[in-house]
Amino acid sequence: MVADNDPITLTVIWNRLIAIGNEMGLTLSRTAFSDAVREAQDFGPHVYDAKGRLVAQGLCSPGHLGASLAAVRHALAAFPEETLEPGDAVIFNLPGMGTGHLLDFVVVTPAFMRDGQIVGFTASSAHQADIGGITPGSQHIPNVADLFQEGIIIPPSLLVRRGEPTEIFRMILANVRMPEVVEGDVNAQLNANQVGARGIVQLAERYGPDALSTYTEEIIRRSEEAMRASVRELPNGVYEGEDYMDDYGPGTPPIRVYVTVTIEDEDITVDFSGSSEQVPAAMNAYLSYTYAYVFYTLKCVVNPELPQNEGTCRPVHATGPAGCFFNAQHPAPSSGRAITAHRMFNAIMLAISKAVPHRAVACHSEFSNAIIGGKDPRTGRTFAFYEILSGGSGGRPTKDGVEAMFTVINAKNVPVEVYETSNPVLIERAGLVQDSAGAGKFRGGCGFRRDSRIIAPEVTFTNLSDRTKFDPYGLQGGLPGMRGATYLNPGTENEELLEPKGVYTLHEGDVISYRCAGAGGYGDPLERDIAAVARDVDREFVSIEAAARLYGVVVDPETLSVDKLGTEQMRTRMRRDQAFSAEMAPETGAAATHESVGNRAKPSTPSQGP
Amino acid sequence: MMRIGVDIGGTFTDFVFHEAESGRVKMWKTPTTSPDPSTGVIQGFLAALGDSPNVLQQVSQIIHGTTIGANTILERKGAVTLLITTRGFRDVLEIQRQRRPNLYDMMQDKPRSLVPRNNVKEATERISSNGEILIPISEDEILQLSALIKEQGFESVAISFLHAYANPIHEQSVRRLLSEQLEGLPISLSSEISPKYREYERTNTTVANAYILPRVQRYLRSLRADLESRGYGAALFVMQSNGGTTTAAVAEDAPVRIIESGPAAGVIAAAHMAGAAGLGDVISFDMGGTTAKVSLIERGIPASTDEFEIDRRDLVPESGLPLSIPATDLIEIGAGGGSIARVSLGTIIVGPESTGADPGPVCYGRQAQFGTVTDADLVLGYLNPDYFLGGEMGLDAEGARTVLAEKVGQPLGLTVEQAAWGVHEVVDANMALAMREATIRRGHDPRDLTIVAFGGAGPIHACHLAKELGVPRVLIPLNAGVNSALGLLIAGARFDLVQTFVTVLDELSPEQLNRIYGEMTCTAGDLLEESHGGTPTFERSADMRYSGQGYEVTVPLPDGAADETTVKEMRTNFEAVYKERYGFQNAEAPIEVVNWRLLALGETPQIRLERQVAEREGTALARTGSRPAYFPEQGGYVDCPIYDWYRLGEGNQIDGPAIVEARETSALVLPGDRAVVDTFGNLLVHLR
Repeated sequence: MVADNDPITLTVIWNRLIAIGNEMGLTLSRTAFSDAVREAQDFGPHVYDAKGRLVAQGLCSPGHLGASLAAVRHALAAFPEETLEPGDAVIFNLPGMGTGHLLDFVVVTPAFMRDGQIVGFTASSAHQADIGGITPGSQHIPNVADLFQEGIIIPPSLLVRRGEPTEIFRMILANVRMPEVVEGDVNAQLNANQVGARGIVQLAERYGPDALSTYTEEIIRRSEEAMRASVRELPNGVYEGEDYMDDYGPGTPPIRVYVTVTIEDEDITVDFSGSSEQVPAAMNAYLSYTYAYVFYTLKCVVNPELPQNEGTCRPVHATGPAGCFFNAQHPAPSSGRAITAHRMFNAIMLAISKAVPHRAVACHSEFSNAIIGGKDPRTGRTFAFYEILSGGSGGRPTKDGVEAMFTVINAKNVPVEVYETSNPVLIERAGLVQDSAGAGKFRGGCGFRRDSRIIAPEVTFTNLSDRTKFDPYGLQGGLPGMRGATYLNPGTENEELLEPKGVYTLHEGDVISYRCAGAGGYGDPLERDIAAVARDVDREFVSIEAAARLYGVVVDPETLSVDKLGTEQMRTRMRRDQAFSAEMAPETGAAATHESVGNRAKPSTPSQGP
Repeated sequence: MMRIGVDIGGTFTDFVFHEAESGRVKMWKTPTTSPDPSTGVIQGFLAALGDSPNVLQQVSQIIHGTTIGANTILERKGAVTLLITTRGFRDVLEIQRQRRPNLYDMMQDKPRSLVPRNNVKEATERISSNGEILIPISEDEILQLSALIKEQGFESVAISFLHAYANPIHEQSVRRLLSEQLEGLPISLSSEISPKYREYERTNTTVANAYILPRVQRYLRSLRADLESRGYGAALFVMQSNGGTTTAAVAEDAPVRIIESGPAAGVIAAAHMAGAAGLGDVISFDMGGTTAKVSLIERGIPASTDEFEIDRRDLVPESGLPLSIPATDLIEIGAGGGSIARVSLGTIIVGPESTGADPGPVCYGRQAQFGTVTDADLVLGYLNPDYFLGGEMGLDAEGARTVLAEKVGQPLGLTVEQAAWGVHEVVDANMALAMREATIRRGHDPRDLTIVAFGGAGPIHACHLAKELGVPRVLIPLNAGVNSALGLLIAGARFDLVQTFVTVLDELSPEQLNRIYGEMTCTAGDLLEESHGGTPTFERSADMRYSGQGYEVTVPLPDGAADETTVKEMRTNFEAVYKERYGFQNAEAPIEVVNWRLLALGETPQIRLERQVAEREGTALARTGSRPAYFPEQGGYVDCPIYDWYRLGEGNQIDGPAIVEARETSALVLPGDRAVVDTFGNLLVHLR
């Protein structure tokens, strides 16, 4: 228990530690250089107690959580506490220790009191604009044999000694394509860490280092207790989830994502045994990254409200055989591992939906993270642009999915006007795709289409998308959404279906048409509120034809009003057909939610056509 | 001649009457009327000035702060609006910016857009990022749209085409064509409402304008007619979100500018009082029933922002509808008198949920379920149960004790006093974090700042907060309850114009620069003139960046006609600002200008306030008694002296602990601190 049984001080210290994390995040995003850090907020600010345990975290991208849990331990293993001095900072980027790819630098700073005592640590992890390797931006996906092709590898090293940058800092800058940007971002990380360390020291001065450590202990203990209590609410059992990624480059097989989620009283373990082996493409997930999304997905379901620290994480475990795709071993290449985060979420959510269907959501759309690069004829300068596109979220137990909103990866899109101002591309359309959403009592969000016309003589297009070969699943009788696709020059005689991870040289006038998948529905479409179907028809999310075919709702094409009698008759007929086919195929009847998901290659849900 | 400020709030409509010659000030308050708040305004005038036919003849100026624009959006009671977009982009309001405000909450939704998808139509046209016409507009299509507008009875139209900020010609053509067909139809153009790039924010702002325009226009016109019928002969003035005034006629055309009218006026008043007291940079702190609003005032000028959100969920950033309109920069957090206290994980959580005005805190005696900050303040003895709202409302102290004991004390093993103190301490710590964000993070040393505290709950919490932050002084205005209405009388006309025109600095010619500012100065000059702004002053600045970067810094620009040296000066200024912020500059990289800004200020009314209180020896006359109040630093409840604020005299000193009571609020002076009464009756508290 807390000294003096003082919940008030505990509250104040806890809030302040979280605020320190947020202050670090604000400092980082305010002073950083690269768009990844500033706009996409691809970073994590972390606050630790004197023992190096994560005690608070500012707002951050979930992928940075995995690195944060052990960051200080890794730093201290290389530089024991007694060797550290005020003004020191340690850096590393080894994927297994960090966030799962070399691109994120992790910087750790000790918080020293005036008398030389260490009272805590801060760490920040942030995505760098470039770390060397084959291509600008250091994120080349297909045909990468190992980590050594991806850029500079930094084991835990002293970045700053007594406030002075070391030769390691210079060494890093000599290995990257945009040294001034990387220097700016690493300095922003150092700033953020210092702001955080100052905050910890102020707390230690005010309450005393011993009391502070008693309270941080208490924070971790209570968080663990609360998380365990929330896990207890879930039914014990072993739940399976299976999903696939399309491939890892043209001509390669799908990647199987198979999880066994074991809920045992107060602990949840996600085991990836049965998933594919690691692959010779830069998509592999190291266990620290895998853990981040295991935790993220489970927290969404188990208790979204809890603050994030070591205690909250303790009841959640991730495991998989060494060398499996989700426990990749050094030196597996991994720069593009972000694309796997979605599929981990999908497979785990599917498994967990069998334990607590009322808390699960159907499969979301997929994000597309392609890169267009080349020379801009307007300025003569080279450019490289990351697309960040997505359709909507999956149908939910009580309401529809959200249109065009990122799920899992959380970023802001880049406005069309900003995009066109900085890149030789003209966007011809950007919007939701009618009839692409998975039908359900609560339907999924629609798929998303964007057409981009190239207006430079020549560009390199590196596609990075998925969910073009396997359906985005529905839950509880909800139907899958429409699969995604990428087309070149749709509707012309040069039309071509592009590989989801292909690399292409394109020319002026070519149009890339991205189609992000529609999201799956939740619940039986025949139970959907008729007025909601009518509204969807009125708003052109659903066609009159699909309203009848999927929902059994008959809408008059002239007046757009619902034919009540016709609807009643049609729904009765469809229910009868449903019951009949359930009877004919009893094995998919009772366990429909389970099996309908495994049964993904449904002919009735084609990819989005050109 | 008399000037009058009228501010309509959620519960009360506040009036401040000011006689220019004598400087005499009179305050008045009436309950806000619903659904038509202008009824309450007229009632207030008649009650305060007397019910005679030409009662407003002697009034030279009425300045109005109103929430009608905001309410129209919050209640979704605006016009049936049609949005016209570039072909291929009808989903701009559905897509928004796609980020989830809460990472883990799978049940969250986007803010509901003001125009549903079926009321968005596309027009064939396209303009490039540099303003070139790629696809011309089709007149036939527009004529078909005009027929549709008539047929479906649309009441307002918003037009937002891609890159219209770079070339407004297509938006203008559509307006011309539609106006020819549909006389009197209000049409809002994105190139006029918010000519900046980022299509979602610009479109949403334009749509918001179109959506509220008919209702705001009806309201202002009917109010003006009512005022005229009572003899008022001058123009009606309205406060804008940026803290500047304009006329109702100007506001009617772009009502989106007046959405944050009231809060902006409160900050203006705080700035004025700080100036009058010679206090330098201040934090304006307005703590009301549901939220606390914090704003930084540097050198007398409130911090401003380019964009704010309306209709946020639980005040979470990025959960609301963005309005790309200059406004006073307010950090708003869910910490008010009505904020609900509960226990989670063995800690105390206060807000953001609030009981609102009804049922309000438990001590209001309306069968409320949850303990609040006001309940805690009452248990701690800071509020007088018999003198709340000047005694109009008795407070149920026993109810407050019971609820806090049950909801906070028992779960945590605390006494009811400790529980109440915990709630007070936690809400103050929360507000201190917000203030830290507003100020110290921006490089301010707390020892150089003063907090100006107002709103119903502000004066109770301000000194504790100041201590938390290391701020040495707190100014508590005597009429803290009508601060916004007072601010209306102090503000001058003001317009913040922003225009996106992206160009590499090396390619910028002085002619281009002169053309941009020629047009903007002309627009701003007209607006100021229509706003009766007096002699204008202009300040220019630009948002600049190194080419390829996704973010800009705002750099001051030289005034007057540009020549070759101007461009050089822009480079030097940019490098200086950049170096200050990021610690280095990049001599090689090309520099880009993105947005051009013009701040147009009218004259500030010279307002002389009559001295409110006489000089008075000693405080004995004002001392009304004492009651137990809780001060943990003194070991718990101590017998705390109580003063009647209205009987204090200039120069009086009060040593804490003390509570100074006025009708709408009480000020808490902590042990060891000293409050001094100034000539206007304000308390200036010096912290130990």
